[in-house]
This record gives sequence, C-alpha cells and structure tokens, in this order.
Amino acid sequence: MDSAPAEQGRREDAASQAARERVPRVDPYGFERPEDFDYASYEEFFSSYLVILTRRAIKWSKLLKGSNSVQKSMKVKRYIRKGVPLEHRARVWMGVSGAQAQMEQNPGYYHRLLKEERNDSLEEAIRTDMNRTFPENVKFRKTADPCLQKTLHNVLLAYGRHNQGVGYCQGMNFIAGYLILITKNEEESFWLLDALVGRILPDYYSPAMLGLKTDQEVLGELVRMKIPAVAELMEGHGVLWTLVVSRWFICLFIDILPVETVLRIWDCLFNEGSKIIFRVVLTLIKQHQAFILEATSFADICDKFKQITKGNFVTECHTFMQKIFSEPGSLSMTTITKLRESCRAKLLTQG
Amino acid sequence: MLVGDSGVGKTCLLVRFKDGAFLAGTFISTVGIDFRNKVLDVDGMKVKLQIWDTAGQERFRSVTHAYYRDAHALLLLYDVSNKASFDNIQAWLSEIQEHAHRDVVLMLLGNKVDSTQEREVKREDGEKLAKEYGLPFMETSAKTGLNVDLAFTAIAKELKQRSTMVPSEPRFQLHDYVKKEGRGGSCCRP
Repeated sequence: MDSAPAEQGRREDAASQAARERVPRVDPYGFERPEDFDYASYEEFFSSYLVILTRRAIKWSKLLKGSNSVQKSMKVKRYIRKGVPLEHRARVWMGVSGAQAQMEQNPGYYHRLLKEERNDSLEEAIRTDMNRTFPENVKFRKTADPCLQKTLHNVLLAYGRHNQGVGYCQGMNFIAGYLILITKNEEESFWLLDALVGRILPDYYSPAMLGLKTDQEVLGELVRMKIPAVAELMEGHGVLWTLVVSRWFICLFIDILPVETVLRIWDCLFNEGSKIIFRVVLTLIKQHQAFILEATSFADICDKFKQITKGNFVTECHTFMQKIFSEPGSLSMTTITKLRESCRAKLLTQG
Repeated sequence: MLVGDSGVGKTCLLVRFKDGAFLAGTFISTVGIDFRNKVLDVDGMKVKLQIWDTAGQERFRSVTHAYYRDAHALLLLYDVSNKASFDNIQAWLSEIQEHAHRDVVLMLLGNKVDSTQEREVKREDGEKLAKEYGLPFMETSAKTGLNVDLAFTAIAKELKQRSTMVPSEPRFQLHDYVKKEGRGGSCCRP
C-alpha cells in the first residue's frame, strides 16, 4: 500500500526530468527559466497551445496578406483577443495603437531627440536601472552581442526628453525592454512606449502618479461591486489596494505573470485600452476568491495576492484570456470613466 | 520595511538576509512595493517577518508613504559611496516623521562598505547623524554580509519584546545591542 504514492512520485520525477531536458532553458524571448520552473506542466500546456498558435498564424497570414498596415475593426478585435502571432506582433501593435501613424508623421524626430543636449539627472536615473533591467535575460547581459542595454538606454533617454512631464519613471525600463524584445527596433519601441505612456494609460508615471492612484481606487470600487466579500476582507484588515497591486499596474504585469501571458494581455491593451488591466486584475481575484478569503491577517492577505499570480491558471494564457472577457462580467467604458472621475476628485480633495 | 534612495542596495540587503546570498547583477529595480517573508528564531521563539521593500525613486514616495503607517519597523539606508543618498536621509526622516507611527522602530544603515568605489560618506558622519536623531546606526555590506543579519535580528528582538512585554525579563536595549554587536567595516572579528 505504502509503495503506491512513492512509485507515483518517482514516475512524476522521471516525467518532469524528461520535460526539463526537452524544454529549452531559455525561452524564445531570451529569459532564463527560473529555478523552480514547472517544466512538466509547461510542456503539457504548450503542446496544446502550439495547435492554437498554428491555427491563429494561418488566420493572421490571410488577414494581413497584401496589406501593410493594420486598422482597427471588429474582426481585428476578435482576432487580437485570440492572440497575435509573434511574427506579426510588432506590426499589429504599431498599427492599432497609432504608433505607426505617429512615426510616419514625425520622420527623424526620434533621432533628433537622441542628439539633444544632456540632462544629467535624467541620465543618472536611467543609468541606475540599466544593470537592473532583466538581468535574467541573455540579450540584456553586458556580454551579449548586440547588447540590448544600449538600445534600452536610448529609448528611455529619448522618451524622457520627448515627454518631460514624465521624464523617467522606474517600471518604464521593463516596459521598454519588452517592446524592444518584440519589435527588435529602437524607433518603433519609442513610439509604442509613447502610445502606452502618453495615450493608453492615464497618467501612471508622472511625478504625482495621479492616474495610477486613481486607477487603484477604481479597482477598489469595482471589487466592491463585483466581489464584495474580498473588498470587505481588505477593509476589515486595513489593507490598501496599492499595497498589493501597485506593481501590477505600473509594470503592466511584467515580472508578475508569465511572459507569454503578459504579451497576450498587451495585444488587447494596445487595441482596447487600459480597461483591459481591470479585466485582468478582477479575473485573478474572482478566480481565487475562496483562496483569498482564507486569509486571516494583514500579512496573510498580502501573501495570497502574491500566490494568485502563479500556477497553471496564469500560465495557460489562451484560457486565461478567454476568462478575462467572461469572468468579471460587463465592464463598460462609461462605468470606468465615471469611477475615474469620482475617485480622482476624492483623491484631489484629500490632497 | 526598507526605505532609502534608488540604488542604495535595499533589495540586495534583503536578499542577503533572506537567502544568505549576494549575486551581483541579478537584481531588478524594485517598482512600487514588494515583500519577502522570513521566519527568524529569536531567543527560542519563532518570529515571522514580512519585510517590505520599496522603490527608491522620489515619485514613488507619495505612493509608498501610505504603507508607513502599517510598518512596525523601518530600516533607512544610504550608500556610503554616494554622498547624495546620505544627504537625502534628512528628507527621508521628515517623511517618516510625518507618516509613520510615532513609536516605529527605526534604524539607520550605511550600506556598501565593501564598495571598491571611493567612500564618500565617513563612518563618523553616519554616527553623528544617527546620534542627532537618536537612532541606532550600523554600517553594512550586502555583498560580504557584514552586520546584515545583525540589523534584522536586532529589529526582530525589539519587536518581539514590544509584543510580549514580560516585565520580569530585562528590557532589550536596541541601542546597546547594536553598539555591542556591530562590527566595524575594516574589522574582522570572528
């Protein structure tokens, strides 16, 4: 009797060992997989996801055949929600976000920014983060050739000069880093960063961070409406939302969720706007409601919020993306806009 | 909770304490706020520490100071090879005075004493400032581990005493403990 679980354990060990040998240690984007990476369940997920990816790739190739730019449409929206293949991702993001149009209307602008006079404090702030942006990514290592640190430095410097109200805010290094990995193009990364920071996200990164604080309050209101038990738990223990979700918002889920899942979220973010962020957060909370409600202390709650961003539910990005459009229920832009207005007004009176 | 300017080594110090490791070039900049847990044995009692690590960039202060009110202890760091980070300590202290609990446990740490870069802040300057504000003070190195465990242990001892408050026990003296146990940067006492 006793030998059965042990036997099963050995079989699982052998299976995960085999998976470890088959799945590359570095992912397609250059990230080294973490020590505790679950190779066996990743392989199982990826074999079924590969079928979806192939099907989507064929559909996208047909859609994009003969056209250079991607315009927003209902069909494009449906396609994007099901995932943009890596080979088309840069083009689709550039098209739907308006970055492509901006780039074409402002030829040479990016390179002129790089030639501007030095601003020591901006450069210093960016330099502090150079070695601290994706050290686990082989393409960002100092020894890499070409080393993406230089590209990252340029994009952030140009952006700080372009949008002086924002300058450089920590978190933008990670976002720009992802953009560079996907576009493999410095100028496109700059314009996509501008689309996010300047248009899609409402004032997350300026020194007052008012848009960020507002959206965290908006989240609190949405949770109170949609998942009241969790809102009560948070209030009961005096846990502020910013405490558990500030990184999620600022880094747009980088380093919180798996890379592939983050990219799938960004597909929709570029096309549908910042509302997507709420969908993701609400889905994570709603899906794990019972688990979160087990918490009995302040520290417990914080632990739970860290744990719900791990595991198969977030790794299986295709199902996850389907969930974000069903699980939280309706979420109209009118509701969000209204909540943003009232939360912002409240924050401003609080000072 | 760890606070101080960007790049002074808050995350490194925390990882050194938690995992006993220093892996140069594997840290990412902390955005917003994050935490790690560590269970510590303090005089035979298990104390669970939830240690919050914060972003040092100035604009995050308005976001992070909301957390001060929940912190039982604050470790305020500067980098001994970066004068500006030391000059900013006063600003950090007024931030703390404004937002933290009045009886929060507070300690000043001058980090990176191992640094090969030239030292810009003398040990005496740190001591002087600490004395002025009545704070326990140590110089630390996340790289070599100098005084790292000691800093966290001292905090844990103080917190344990505050939460248990056994009158018969002699009162734990944070200042004396840190002074007695702390090691100098150049010293190599076992």
